[in-house]
Amino acid sequence: MRRRFFGHNFATVYRFEVVRTLKKKSFWAGVLAFPILIAGIFGLTYYAGNQSETASADLVKEKFSIALTDDSNIISPETIEQVGAKTISNRADGIKKVTSGQLDAYFYYPKDLAKNHVEIYAQSVGIFENSRYQAVAQSLLQASTLAQTNAETIAILTNQVNFEVQTFRNGENYNPMMEMIAPGIFLVLFYLIIATFGGQMMNAVVEEKENRVSEIILTTIRARTLIVGKIFAFLTLIVIQMAVVLGFVIAAYLVLKNHLNLPSFDLSQIPLDPARILVSFLIFTSSLMLFSGLLVAIGAAMPTAKEANQFFAIPILLIFAPLYIAPMMITNTTNSAISFITFFPFTAPVPLMLRNAVGNLNVWEVIIGIAILTTTAVTVFIIAARLFQTGAVEYSKKLSLKGLFKRKTA
Amino acid sequence: MTTKNIIEVKNFAMRFGNKTVIRDLSFEVHRGETFGFLGSNGSGKTTTLRALLGIYEPTHGELLINNQPYDVAGKTRIGYLPEERGLYKKESVIDTMVYFGQLKGMLRDDAYQFALEYLAKVGLTGYQQMRLDKLSGGQQQKVQLGITIMGDPELLILDEPTKGFDPVNRRLLMDMIADLRKRGATIMMVSHQMDEIERLCDRVLLLKDGAAKEYGTVAAVRKKYDGAHIEEIFIQIYGDTDEIGERFSLNEMKSSDKRNRRKGNK
Repeated sequence: MRRRFFGHNFATVYRFEVVRTLKKKSFWAGVLAFPILIAGIFGLTYYAGNQSETASADLVKEKFSIALTDDSNIISPETIEQVGAKTISNRADGIKKVTSGQLDAYFYYPKDLAKNHVEIYAQSVGIFENSRYQAVAQSLLQASTLAQTNAETIAILTNQVNFEVQTFRNGENYNPMMEMIAPGIFLVLFYLIIATFGGQMMNAVVEEKENRVSEIILTTIRARTLIVGKIFAFLTLIVIQMAVVLGFVIAAYLVLKNHLNLPSFDLSQIPLDPARILVSFLIFTSSLMLFSGLLVAIGAAMPTAKEANQFFAIPILLIFAPLYIAPMMITNTTNSAISFITFFPFTAPVPLMLRNAVGNLNVWEVIIGIAILTTTAVTVFIIAARLFQTGAVEYSKKLSLKGLFKRKTA
Repeated sequence: MTTKNIIEVKNFAMRFGNKTVIRDLSFEVHRGETFGFLGSNGSGKTTTLRALLGIYEPTHGELLINNQPYDVAGKTRIGYLPEERGLYKKESVIDTMVYFGQLKGMLRDDAYQFALEYLAKVGLTGYQQMRLDKLSGGQQQKVQLGITIMGDPELLILDEPTKGFDPVNRRLLMDMIADLRKRGATIMMVSHQMDEIERLCDRVLLLKDGAAKEYGTVAAVRKKYDGAHIEEIFIQIYGDTDEIGERFSLNEMKSSDKRNRRKGNK
């Protein structure tokens, strides 16, 4: 039985691309590398922090002979007694006792601590271990000061006072930062996908050329079926990749939340504006289509992945450049430069998504923006298919624009 | 309606920039025959095949398969073995064959079964799960040929099918072509193996200077050259050009050398 309709071929390409990628060890290595790396760094930082805390505590506990001279009059006698230190009235004597080996350490606290240094003279016990002297000198100061200060002052001075801000719009509680979260996720997702997977997307069709398969492919299925099938397969793989990473992060959070005192997230506090979320989703989808097409078009014009990668900077520049005027997008929407980048198709995704997230995009701007993105995406797809077909047998050279319009496609 | 000719090429011309590759070419391939498409290197054979299959747009003329320009979504079942060979090198033999079988309209199970049977036939049993880049060049060629004949093609277009094959595998391929022909397939092949062309083909076309130099049944072409074999005819037609070219180059070099020596003497 023969099947040769678009749906069959699309499904065949889609399945082939998804299955073969999922079978690759390199795919799973790439997927798991990120959470493992993050977990590794997190674990290492936690371990190092723990070790350092333990070491500091051990150092403070460690007994060694200390003497001090306190011209600042801050160090309390109780604190001096607690660490078993002695007081010396003369600074020169203290230094002499250290140099002669009678004392392990001598601290000199000058009169005005804001202007002068605390001087520490001590026996060297190693590059890292020498830090114990400063730790003790500092803890003497802190303990003495805390004993003389009330808890409120300490909280103020150490930025531990909590604030709760409530703003209102149209008489209702309104938090613009919280409002941005749900629609803003699509912008973050867009950046993440293009920056992380753009290179792979660009190389999606180079493989056919590099492996000299394009002639057989083009005499078997339409170029656009191949391209659409590959892009959808690629997007599916991105979803799988992100789901794995997200699952890993959520599992790690739930397991380690109590052990590491991680902050709690109350997702119910995030406001959900269905209209803005829908607009963001539509802009995100059309932007992703446009940039997928652009990346595939670049790849289709190049004979090898290596040469294609040299042009990866172009789409990256197009999505990152608007960030430089992001504050203007929020505060000055009437500016002509903002209007230009909002409606120029290749820069439009970021301003449209950002402005929608902050809520300063009008309805007509939404309609025009999505229309421009969708139309351009379709055009770019057609060009990408033509590039692939025209450049199919250009195994060793880049396809020029002249070549594209001069020569043929089926 | 089934016509006598499966392929019709009418006044085909092909230019790349200022370079004319095909000047004016017309020929037909009859349904069920084996047709040899011959010419020296760079004479435009591959260009003609690519134009026939819609990869190139002709500068002029018509190239028809079953009375219409080739359309991948059309009804004609084609098996094409291009000159530039290649497969998805990092994929397994079976996955690649099943993929192409499905793209040619086969059901997955049918494609799988066909692939296993074909691999057994060409001595590649047990290789189905192996990655293609782990196979030898000859083994990869066999897989590619298997892909070409998947989907029961009614027209096989083979561009130098024996390239890279040892004599044993070449014989295997030729037997396979003969078998396909027996089953009613039309075969158009480009080859430099003149003995095989003579043995397998009903009719031939010898391409020279962008047009058909000789075109007709093997017997008729041989008769025109006093019963000479196709290989001798080939050398007679193309050998002169190469010889002239060589002589021209040598003369150029010699005179250039003389000029240089004269300059040096001064």
